[in-house]
Amino acid sequence: MDDLQRELGPLEDLEDDSDSSDGNSSKGKKSKLPLVNILHAETSRETGFHKSTRACLERIREALLHHRWQEAAEYMACYPQMLDDTTNGTGQQYKELIWRMSAEILHHHPNSKMEDYNNIYERMKHSGVKHFLMISLEHSFHLLHNGHIEDAKHQLSVAESWRHGKESAAQYQRMKLIHAYRSLLDYMIWCDKKLSYINTTEYPDCGENQDMNNYFRHASVNLKDILKTPGIWDPFILSYVEMLEFYEDHEEALKVLNDYAYDNTFPPNPNGHVYLYQYLKRQNTSERKLVKVLKVLHASVPSHELMLEYSSLLLQSEKKTNTQKAFGVVLEMLDFACWRSNLDVWKLLKAIIQKLQLQDDWRDSVAGKMAPRKDWWPVLHFTSFHASTDSQENPELKEVKASLTKILCPDLMLKYTA
Amino acid sequence: MDEEQTAGYRELCAVCSAVDWGVSDEGRFYCRSCHNVIERTREVVDPNFTPGSARVSTIGRGTRTKRAERGRQWLICEGFQFILMKQADALVTLGVSPGFKDQVLCQLWRIYLQKSRQAYTSNPTRTSQFRVRGPGSDSDSDSAEASVMTASETDGDTNPPSTAGSHAGSSSDWSMCSGSLDAASYLTGRLRRSRHSLMSMKKTLALIHLALVWSRQPLTLSDLLRLVNDGHVPYVNAYEELPDEMKLEGKDALLFRVESVPPHRVVHRDARALILFLQLPAFPPISRQSLLHPSLLSLRYLMDANLPDELHPWVCRLMERAGMADQKLHTFDRRVFPFLPRYDVQTAALIIVTMKLIFGLDDHTEWDLSSEAGEQDDAGKLFSLRRWFRVVQAALIRAQQRRDHDVARKQWAAKKPLHTNSKKKSVVLKRKRIAEQVQVCFEKLSSRLAGVNGVDPSSFRFRWGDEDSDGPGLHQKKLDGVLTLKDGVPTPSNSTYWHPALRASQMSSRLYSEVEETLPRSFVWLLQLFCFLLEVKPAYLYKEVLRVETRVVEGEGPGGGRRRKRTTETRTRIRTRTRARGGQETGETRF
Repeated sequence: MDDLQRELGPLEDLEDDSDSSDGNSSKGKKSKLPLVNILHAETSRETGFHKSTRACLERIREALLHHRWQEAAEYMACYPQMLDDTTNGTGQQYKELIWRMSAEILHHHPNSKMEDYNNIYERMKHSGVKHFLMISLEHSFHLLHNGHIEDAKHQLSVAESWRHGKESAAQYQRMKLIHAYRSLLDYMIWCDKKLSYINTTEYPDCGENQDMNNYFRHASVNLKDILKTPGIWDPFILSYVEMLEFYEDHEEALKVLNDYAYDNTFPPNPNGHVYLYQYLKRQNTSERKLVKVLKVLHASVPSHELMLEYSSLLLQSEKKTNTQKAFGVVLEMLDFACWRSNLDVWKLLKAIIQKLQLQDDWRDSVAGKMAPRKDWWPVLHFTSFHASTDSQENPELKEVKASLTKILCPDLMLKYTA
Repeated sequence: MDEEQTAGYRELCAVCSAVDWGVSDEGRFYCRSCHNVIERTREVVDPNFTPGSARVSTIGRGTRTKRAERGRQWLICEGFQFILMKQADALVTLGVSPGFKDQVLCQLWRIYLQKSRQAYTSNPTRTSQFRVRGPGSDSDSDSAEASVMTASETDGDTNPPSTAGSHAGSSSDWSMCSGSLDAASYLTGRLRRSRHSLMSMKKTLALIHLALVWSRQPLTLSDLLRLVNDGHVPYVNAYEELPDEMKLEGKDALLFRVESVPPHRVVHRDARALILFLQLPAFPPISRQSLLHPSLLSLRYLMDANLPDELHPWVCRLMERAGMADQKLHTFDRRVFPFLPRYDVQTAALIIVTMKLIFGLDDHTEWDLSSEAGEQDDAGKLFSLRRWFRVVQAALIRAQQRRDHDVARKQWAAKKPLHTNSKKKSVVLKRKRIAEQVQVCFEKLSSRLAGVNGVDPSSFRFRWGDEDSDGPGLHQKKLDGVLTLKDGVPTPSNSTYWHPALRASQMSSRLYSEVEETLPRSFVWLLQLFCFLLEVKPAYLYKEVLRVETRVVEGEGPGGGRRRKRTTETRTRIRTRTRARGGQETGETRF
């Protein structure tokens, strides 16, 4: 009878994501209100059914927030009747809600098993077209998390072959993600095979094993593809470069790493330079090139641990200006509190100072670099508290630091003494 | 790949590793690329399959084959008749006398059919489809008389008389939009003619309520609605109990599917409208011996609220003073008293006013009285309002939480879903399957079934006194603490009565939410207690309380004068009497 009132109003379509291939979601413009407002608003003309489901949802939410997982599971058993709601076309929201809440409860409930996960993911995947890819991805992540690499890969392959007219076209970005992750899984399998191959054969020849090569080929297609899209693809690039190195395709590896590090359309990512540097180091490139890469990294992350290597590289070169640059680099590192108690940094600083002292105008250059730091460096490094902690924890550090106090801050009375 | 047929089966083929399944003629799955047949078979989810539908139940000329597939033709009123019958059976099983169903309800239904000209009449309203055939229309009137005869023979049995609807012949319009014959006309044509001739699910409850009142059964409207809510009387998804031959499709859904249980106010309003539509004569009188009369009904509510039995004589005295003892006030009669009384709400209001009279309920008096009674009372035989409040409040809170819990868990979905648009049936069915599977998964996980645990039907909301009850029973306590003797007659110690300047006709839920802040908390709490017992809104009950108070003060019964009440007065002194209690000053309020 409640339907009667609605029927006398404008006729509304049922759920718009049917299974037919011409599933044109013309009513796809959902309200822009945040989820909470829609679901929790009590209208004056609410039916008993809506009241029940709204109350159920509130209780699930409360239980989730307070980590009462058993209670959440009990109410979750009562909630799926919401899917039977035929009044408005917002079935989308509820499917996503049910998917995510179920996943959350399964993560935390003590009795949840793999079958439950598989069950729920499979059901919700086929409940509609908008979420198929995302749920597939999450399902495969979960399988991966539990070590079922083959199953994860299978899920992603199934997802890859999914086609649904306009829907799959609209979700092409998610599809790319799926391709990329599938390739990552191929890489993982490749790694396993490589390990077993190397362990079993006496004279490993990387061109021989067909199986491995297949995986490599499958993986590299998509990995190369995803690396063209702007984004942060650290694990993908590492795996790709590793495979390329194994097959000794250095040109390609270098090109990919350079693109990843230096492409301006990509979001800023210092790791790109780190990976490039590490690769170049493995390939024994010249110091000049290494220094060039690290210079860019220094500009973006002065406190990076590779700065140690950078300044030691600069120190090893013969140019005077490089020594001063090295000095600057180490000082900038020590500007950050995380390096405060690191012995290596301070030793390096001492070495730099010693080399600097060979030059004539070393006092000026030291003073020049320390001038902006005069106010806050002593407090950062040379208080009596530091003195006591250092002498207890790391006496060698104390020695090194103590020897440098006079040089770095010559005209200040520091309490950093033995 | 046949999406619908294979239901999203996406396993890799064992032979060729492709995902391209089809369904063969036998219903087995096979891989399209390599024709590998597997064990899986298609689930048969075909709601159109009706076993045993080749029943000859009509004398029509329609095509036999069509009827054999689709069940028999039926009218909407037949559906409602069946549902009413099921509801009445449920009530009889619960203890209502069978006479209610056989003598009263059936008769009322027949009168309804007659008044709305669906049967028992010489010119039944029919859709235009029935008038298409020339020879057919002559026999319409014959069949109407035939249906009268069959109806009188087959009273209340399992075969609702097939009316002239069977003469619709092979017109195929009806099969497109509904399983019944006249759903479309029910919705469009008759709506415009008159609202009252429409039967609806809500009105079935109204009709049953009328039948109960007529047969003077002690089941009030709030009891009936509570039974409906708990599922003891079929209402939500009642259409599932219709026989299989009556197929429900399309527009039938609009009439037979419900998603809420209607509130007290709405059913009462529909009942009243129904009385006028049916032009019923005067009801059998509700005398003092009848269980619907306030004098006896109040006993039940006093027991449920854990109030002492000694309060009952006071309620009766108040009732007499308000002139409500007269049976004329409780019996509907079109000429003399054309109002359908709300027995439950009225009785509750009487009790509330009695408590207000005796205890004051202004947040001070009742607690003072309670403290004094506590001081006097050594043996624990006196009724203490404070103790009563504590006991009942604890039980009330628990019961309210349980009720909210049940509301959240209630399952509304039917086993046989009913959808308006048959084109989307597959989508709806699929979603229902998914919902069921998710539900089963979580039921296993939490080891608790969805839905509400069946609760035994009972007239009482609370149980007092046993070990396994809501609290200690206070029915035997004496009211001596709040009564004093004046001229040898016990009278309430409380001598003041407060009343806000409001009339019953002004009260609405919006006004109540504004006024509620100004009312004393004890009073509001008492209102909430009775609202919980009756499942009504506080404003509704408060309106009745105001009405009773007006009657008491303007008093048409013995003991009251014909005094006009001045609504601006906020305190009416009934008896001026100072409370001098042995010189003890009780100035502080204690809780």
